[in-house]
Amino acid sequence: MSGLVMRGVSVRFGGHLAVGNVSLEAPRGAITGLIGPNGAGKTTLFNVATGFLTPTSGGVEFDGRDITNMPTYRRARLGLGRTFQRLELFTSLTVRENVRVAGSIRKRWKRARLDVVAESDRLIELLGLSEHAEREVSEIPTGMARRVELARALMTQPTMLLLDEPASGQDEHETAEFGELLLRLAADGPGILLVEHDMSLVMQVCQQIHVLDFGTIIASGTPAEVRANPAVVAAYLGEGA
Amino acid sequence: MDEFLAYSVLGVCLGSIYAIAATGLVVTYATSGIFNFAHGAVGTLTAIFYWQVRVGWHVPGPIAIVLAIFVFAPLVGVLLDIAIMRGLQGTSETTQLVVPIAVLLAINGTATWIWFRNANSLYLPRRFFGDDQSVKIFGQAVFVHQIIAAACAVAIALGLYLLLHRTRLGVTMRATVDDRSLLMMNGGRPDRMSLASWAIGSALAGLAGVLLSPSLGALQVLALTLLVFDTYPAAIAGRLRSVPIAYAAGIAFGLAKSYWDWLSLTPTGPRWAAWTNLRVALPAVLLFVVLLLLPQDRLRGTVITRTRERFHVPTIRQSLAWGGVLVVVMAMLQALMTRSAVITMSNAMALALLALPIVLLSGYAGQVNLAAYSFAGIAIIAAWQFDVGPGGKATRESLSVWAVLLAIVVGGLIALPALRLRGLHLGLATFAFAIVVDQLVLRQIGPLRPNLFGWKFEVNLFSNGQLTVPRPRWFGVDFLVSQRNYLMFMTVAFALVGVALIALRRSAYGRIIVAAKDSPAACATLGLNVTVLKLQVFMLASGLAGFGGLLWGAQQRTVNNNGSFDPFLGLALFMMAVVGGVGYVSGALVAGILLSVLANVMPNVFTWLGSELPSLNWLFVSVLGNFSKFVGPALVGIGLGRNPSGIAQQIMDGFRPLRRAPFAVGCYLAAIVALWAVTWAGGISNWAFTVIVVASVFIVPMRIMRLSRYRSRFADVLDALDGEDLSRTGLGAPLTVADRDRFDAALGLR
Repeated sequence: MSGLVMRGVSVRFGGHLAVGNVSLEAPRGAITGLIGPNGAGKTTLFNVATGFLTPTSGGVEFDGRDITNMPTYRRARLGLGRTFQRLELFTSLTVRENVRVAGSIRKRWKRARLDVVAESDRLIELLGLSEHAEREVSEIPTGMARRVELARALMTQPTMLLLDEPASGQDEHETAEFGELLLRLAADGPGILLVEHDMSLVMQVCQQIHVLDFGTIIASGTPAEVRANPAVVAAYLGEGA
Repeated sequence: MDEFLAYSVLGVCLGSIYAIAATGLVVTYATSGIFNFAHGAVGTLTAIFYWQVRVGWHVPGPIAIVLAIFVFAPLVGVLLDIAIMRGLQGTSETTQLVVPIAVLLAINGTATWIWFRNANSLYLPRRFFGDDQSVKIFGQAVFVHQIIAAACAVAIALGLYLLLHRTRLGVTMRATVDDRSLLMMNGGRPDRMSLASWAIGSALAGLAGVLLSPSLGALQVLALTLLVFDTYPAAIAGRLRSVPIAYAAGIAFGLAKSYWDWLSLTPTGPRWAAWTNLRVALPAVLLFVVLLLLPQDRLRGTVITRTRERFHVPTIRQSLAWGGVLVVVMAMLQALMTRSAVITMSNAMALALLALPIVLLSGYAGQVNLAAYSFAGIAIIAAWQFDVGPGGKATRESLSVWAVLLAIVVGGLIALPALRLRGLHLGLATFAFAIVVDQLVLRQIGPLRPNLFGWKFEVNLFSNGQLTVPRPRWFGVDFLVSQRNYLMFMTVAFALVGVALIALRRSAYGRIIVAAKDSPAACATLGLNVTVLKLQVFMLASGLAGFGGLLWGAQQRTVNNNGSFDPFLGLALFMMAVVGGVGYVSGALVAGILLSVLANVMPNVFTWLGSELPSLNWLFVSVLGNFSKFVGPALVGIGLGRNPSGIAQQIMDGFRPLRRAPFAVGCYLAAIVALWAVTWAGGISNWAFTVIVVASVFIVPMRIMRLSRYRSRFADVLDALDGEDLSRTGLGAPLTVADRDRFDAALGLR
């Protein structure tokens, strides 16, 4: 299958089991949601998928290839991009330079022609960052900074994007607009694995949703199925709700 | 077998002292997050203090010990924490390394100033219970002193382990590093914790210093500091976090040193003459081994705290203009200067060239190299071997391509084991490298006859301990006889390399270098192999250091192996580069000028004042002259905690408002040029010219700013708001610190 597949992934920090035997798939061309309360293990799974953590057991495949022990930069070259929940921007550079530098990095490992200037300008326009383009990233609001991370990730033309709470810090109007943008992006081919707390956004854009609680998957299905699942309701609203 | 056991006993005793100092380092690092580079200096200072009390003032042993270990050393630690180390929260890794280095230099300078002003001062430390109290263990006489050391080490390691892992205080101490703010929210008091850890760490450093000092024979500041440095590898082996591993590693390294003695010493002399100094360099070699064996640091996201350092990058056009200004100003100045002033300025320029690679490595890439002089030394030896040879006649230019290439290759080999780890480890690895080069390479003053797979050759690396470095002769211009020509040669070289560095920084590659400094994690997710990039930058900087080193060596004319490449010089240079402004080419220039002026000019000025006013000679020469010589540079470094962006930026910020008054500035500059012409023609003296220029540089810009302020106050506020989304003035987005600063500056409030 093309896309990202995690099989029986467990991660243990000392005595604490952060993720236990999680399997999930995120196919290309679709948006897959990964939701769950704080501390459920969502970011840990992202770190396993992108090579920041090696799972205690289980494996990760990308486009049919086992990437469990591959270093982060090689996964990126296969087409796996991501953004960070705790922002990882290049604080010495402006917004435009943040996006451009990603193109320069891509040029170092891919010979394919890429007009870095034109492509970065296009992405900045697409993500509504034009008015912030010349500012230093530490000066712009968090919601905009998250968009910079997305633009930067898109610059490497990934085939699978892992987005960690991309809409937090954006207001309702911006989030709705952002949802449409995600749908357009996915329609162009790459798959998206989305971690997000804004349920209206998740329900709006995802074809498939996995719900994580205490490190295990408690439900998977379409938005309608997940919404009706009693275990999900309990995890979010507490037992007896 | 008996011999083996005897050397084992000696090794355990030595290792115990290593263990004491290493656990002390772990304690301070584990609670304050600062690697105390000055650990060795604290140990040295305490050892000297102990000597002063015990031998100098004849205080009974037990009281002297209590005074030194339980009062003096902890007090030093507490003072360091309150006055200096606390201010380092939120600064970059480079600053957190530089300030303790400055403290080290300051403590050593103070100790030299107080106790070693006279070169023939001799202080002989005594062992506990005297030098004649020993017992025989496995046929080996062991001093009671050494047995006490071993017993102390065991007790301390046990006590610390219990403190850190079994008591509430210890757990809180460890929590301080993990998340200071979280601890505060939970009612913890991180300041008090770090105070306790600095007191304990300093006491342990002091104990190690007192225990180690008798092995030196007579007290020496640098030698003792280096002895305590020997314990750093043991602390690193415990990843600066584990007391038991640091203890075990300390013992292991003590044994290693003892066994090396056993193997290498024969009754007739050393077995391998060329390797005699490995004894001194062994801990540095072990540090490399430790760094190779440590598991790779996990790539992880950093919490983005806005570090306080901000660097603006000039455009290439600006840098070309400033490079031209530098060359022109230098040409004008050297025409006025006396010969001694030309030499001081030449030294400043040579040091600035040596500091330039630090801008690339630390300023742009966020890495650390404390061994600039070692790369200079390697390049100079290579150039001499390839180009001059034992005959002493230059066959090629001394700007040897081979020398620079060798520096690049060596740089790669040094960086390789340490790059996988964090910046601190790379810094320590380079300092260890400086020691290894100093002990094992620069001291090869006799012929070596290696046999490499049947290929035999003879080489005399540092011929007789002194090398004469030739100067280039290009286009018929002689740079040897005319010091002024060589000064201009170095100035042009500095300007060219500086412009090249800025061009590099502004290129796509330069932006990648900066991005990898800001967030290695994000770079990896974009497909960048961060380790390879760091290696490239380190090798490039090593080559530049080799190039700068050659020009610096040619400025010295003769370099010797005893002092020219002292490992501590590299520390001072790195510190000054950061103080000058490590993100700027001009910062390297400031560093060179400061080092040269503080080392040459200030003591000379005070000597001159002392001879003019003999009644105040004691004040000028003994106090102020020695102070500026020994302690001055270090104080500049300690001040860095307050302004981590460096002096160069402060100067630029100070003169920035002048841009609004180009006409007035132009008139002022024309006046200065006219004054220069009058001086050159002999109309006024050099002193008058200097005084007028220096005074006017401070006064005139302020007048100009004041005159232009009224008009610009409004203009600037409007500029600041021009093109802004008005919602940003309070509605749409929070006002950032930068916004506030901009408004303050525009309103003249700052």
